Amino acid sequence: MNIIGKSIYRKEALDKVSGKAKYTADEQSTDMLHVKMVISPYGHAKIEKIDTSEAQKVPGVRAILTGSPELPLIGEEIQDRPPIAVGKVRYYGEPVALVVADHPVLAKRAADLIKVAYKPLPVVNSPSEALKSDAPLVHEKLDTYQRTQGVYPEPNTNIANRTKIRKGNMEKGWLESDLIVEENFSFSPSDHAAMETRCAIAEIHRDGYVHITSSSQAPFMIKKWISRYFNIDLGKIVVNTPLVGGAYGGKASVQWEILAFLASKATGGRRVKLIYSREEDILTAPCHIGLDARVKLGCTRDGLLKAAEIVYLFDGGAYSDKSTDISRAGAVDCTGPYHIENVWCDSLCMYTNHPYATAFRGFSHCEVLFAFERTMDILAEKLGMDPLELRLKNAILPGHKTPTQVLLNNSNLGNLPKCIHRLKELINWDEGSIVEIDERKVRVKGVSCIWKTSTIDPDASSGVILTFNRDGSINLISGVVEIGTGTKTILAQILAERMKMNIDQIHVQMKVNTQTTPEHWKTVASRGTFMAGRAVLAAADDAIRQLKEIASCVLRCSAEDLEVGFGRIFLRDDPKVGIDIKDVAYGYQYPNGNAIGGQVIGRGNYILRHMTHLDPDTGAGQPGPEWTVGAQGVEIEFDKKDFTYRVIKAISVIDIGKVLNEKAAKGQVMGAMSMGLSFAGRETFIFDRYGRIQNSQLRTYRPIHYGENPEYIVDFVETPQLDAPYGARGIGEHGILGMPAALANSLSVAAGVQLNQLPLVPEFIWRRKKGAQNDFV
Amino acid sequence: MISFDFEYYKPSTINEAVQLFYTLQIQKKRPIYFSGGTEIITLGRLNLVTPEAVIDIHDIPECKVLQLDEYHLVMGAALTLTEIEKANVFPLLSKTASEVADHTARNKITLGGNICGKIFYREAVLPFLLTNSQVVIAGPSGIKRVPIQDVFYKQLRLQTGEFLVQIVTNQNDLSVPSVSIKKRRQWGTGYPLVTIAAMKTKEGIRAAFSGLCPFPFRSKQIEDDLNQTQLPLEARIEHAIHHLPTPILNDTEGSSEYRIFVFKNTLQEIFTALEGEEHAQ
Repeated sequence: MNIIGKSIYRKEALDKVSGKAKYTADEQSTDMLHVKMVISPYGHAKIEKIDTSEAQKVPGVRAILTGSPELPLIGEEIQDRPPIAVGKVRYYGEPVALVVADHPVLAKRAADLIKVAYKPLPVVNSPSEALKSDAPLVHEKLDTYQRTQGVYPEPNTNIANRTKIRKGNMEKGWLESDLIVEENFSFSPSDHAAMETRCAIAEIHRDGYVHITSSSQAPFMIKKWISRYFNIDLGKIVVNTPLVGGAYGGKASVQWEILAFLASKATGGRRVKLIYSREEDILTAPCHIGLDARVKLGCTRDGLLKAAEIVYLFDGGAYSDKSTDISRAGAVDCTGPYHIENVWCDSLCMYTNHPYATAFRGFSHCEVLFAFERTMDILAEKLGMDPLELRLKNAILPGHKTPTQVLLNNSNLGNLPKCIHRLKELINWDEGSIVEIDERKVRVKGVSCIWKTSTIDPDASSGVILTFNRDGSINLISGVVEIGTGTKTILAQILAERMKMNIDQIHVQMKVNTQTTPEHWKTVASRGTFMAGRAVLAAADDAIRQLKEIASCVLRCSAEDLEVGFGRIFLRDDPKVGIDIKDVAYGYQYPNGNAIGGQVIGRGNYILRHMTHLDPDTGAGQPGPEWTVGAQGVEIEFDKKDFTYRVIKAISVIDIGKVLNEKAAKGQVMGAMSMGLSFAGRETFIFDRYGRIQNSQLRTYRPIHYGENPEYIVDFVETPQLDAPYGARGIGEHGILGMPAALANSLSVAAGVQLNQLPLVPEFIWRRKKGAQNDFV
Repeated sequence: MISFDFEYYKPSTINEAVQLFYTLQIQKKRPIYFSGGTEIITLGRLNLVTPEAVIDIHDIPECKVLQLDEYHLVMGAALTLTEIEKANVFPLLSKTASEVADHTARNKITLGGNICGKIFYREAVLPFLLTNSQVVIAGPSGIKRVPIQDVFYKQLRLQTGEFLVQIVTNQNDLSVPSVSIKKRRQWGTGYPLVTIAAMKTKEGIRAAFSGLCPFPFRSKQIEDDLNQTQLPLEARIEHAIHHLPTPILNDTEGSSEYRIFVFKNTLQEIFTALEGEEHAQ
């Protein structure tokens, strides 16, 4: 292999490191208007009155918008959300009014003068609270909302969705179990904290064409929503997405674009810009989902898992948005990567008065694995078995079925035992998992296994167009958004490999324009490499076919005898005979002037194969094309006196199928591990009893800082996914998945007390040691 | 973003500054002095501080002084924490200052700003409370130089129109054995749960605290408790806890009970650092 496996720099690297890279908010123009929001100061309250009279007097104010029943209710699976609050606010930070003005300062000045009178309502402050029969209803009119197929809200409750997994025979499973453990887990919502705060620019031209620029993972979904909700022809909506400065799922939802569109509409189609301040990015924009979970596991005395009974209560927040899908994904892979014949799971998405949740790296898997992998460790302890031994013994293998009863094989499942063995080596498991350093300090190791499949739309697809330049180089045009994963560079590598060309000859269009760029469903789910990679290969083959066709005329031979590579098209059996790609890519011109062929334009697409909806009663179905697996661990140094600790090492072994770009892959895994440790160790929203978030700034909401990080060790196992480009599996998310569990597992051993809540701050460990019950709000 | 308009002045002498303040005050412009500006920006964008005029003291030479001679160390209020850390003429101050916020912020946060601002940790004052330094304050009635303990109670008690110009410390206090420890909710960044700066003199241990209460403090009673050498350390610490001022903070960084737990452990670490292994746990 020429380029596959090599650690090529990202195509956009130089622009990024020099500060030249342009993001959505970098667009400035003198005739642009600026939007500032007024947001809710309550978690749940009736809006009694909005007084905009003082705000109207600020010079330069062009429009002030408040919520209205005229505006459509929007949403992904359940249309339950007014773009601007109407009648009541359901979460702290919900948009209540928009000011559009000539200058951001004027917009803010006016926004600060808007007076809103609220009457606070009782707050639903956790998913468990939301489930109680006497809980206030977040959505009284749940039964009136439009919804798609496959989502099951329960009116007159706070249940937005219930996904059931009913596999095997639970009675039999419990009978076969010699040992049973049951544990509860809990953590609050938190934030994505991407470096780039969200931004959208909207303009409506005189001919009705809507132009939106947004820092989004889903430009094609923005197009769909504006069309659907505002009755505009799809073809009249053009969405642009340049480089995005980090997203992690948080930009897979549509929110700020709608507000920008409404602001433009209210000012006669003027070009308007809405940038979220950091606080708004934390509060108003959708967040990382929280969870209350109960896991009950049964196994034989030899440690073979026989039954799992699981209840997941996801904190979907005030509006359902993507969280009904997240709760479904939580059911799909509700157990860890283990062979369990009898599984009963109810995964509920709950309405609460918290900011609503959207996708977050891992899409429920990091959350669910925290609960499940902690329970595995507790079970191992009860069994008196080594935690990795227990996992190895139950590792899911080809021939087994997932909770949704998908039959696994060598291609759609990675090799978990191999990952576990490699983890053991890297973490030096055999030296023991506990080492006393002195009377105060102890070094402890904790582990976790991981797996994930995607649960995106069954008809999700990806398209790629290749155009040539007259020098024979190629322009690669794909709907994948470059959000920092480096996927667009990987696609260039895939193309360079197939065309046997130098990577410098592949020019990647970084921006996405929904009018000219073929659609990639959404840049989510670690499916960019797989789907867009397949589309690239299809487009390459299409281009190769066209090149051969023209070349066969010129060389007077059959196209079947030709090969393409190294900038040429040549006879396979006599490579000296051939022609340069550059002389053929725009067609060929004979000496007398005749020209044949024309521009070669390669096109390719890929659609997921054989995906199905889930059966509403059993959950059976095929939600994703493959399961990527891995084993992870951490080594911590714990102070037994003050309960502080630092993470010394964090290790991941993931079955990547095929390493396409080694440093890029390692970078992705390390970045994800860092996020997982940060989330588990320090990140959480702190709510007061009115549902108000107390830590909505980076000074009080602190992701992990450089210097607090461990040594990261990343290694890969390669079991090819046969239908993926060069056998490669996507690993954008997987590094995060087992980190919270591994960290909690190591700390529980170190502290000598079960730690089933996040974040794992010293104060929490101190409380648990003092004997306080796990407190569930 | 700051959405209110304000006037910006940059006087080049102390007198000019004081005069300006007086004039702007009469004009009802609610002037404030501007040093690093980090707090003005932070609170200004939240509309919690909304002056109509700011007076930048950076051009005033006395405010930027960093001078060490055989008797005194003189530090100007407009010195940034990074400048102080780099110069390292007062190790206890360098250590304490270097833990405030982060490096980028410390490039702007000044000695005067950290001590006189609204954010109540004011950790940079702790070493000066221990060394009984003198503060040089300029105001409508002229320039005065007074012991810090006469004007610092929870915050620097400045009259309207006054500003901190310099802090003067005895040279021989600079090298007294000292230690500064800051504990946070998690790992190495964030607001303090407890910050303790301590020195060991011939008379015993001196300690000053921040993070425990919504103000920094040094307490004679607590120092007497801690210096009861006939008692074991744990007992001394328990006595000290009884004499802590109120309220003990209870917030998103930690609960008050937990803060007391951290306080105890940190005090033990302080003693170990200053007096050696006999107090190690």
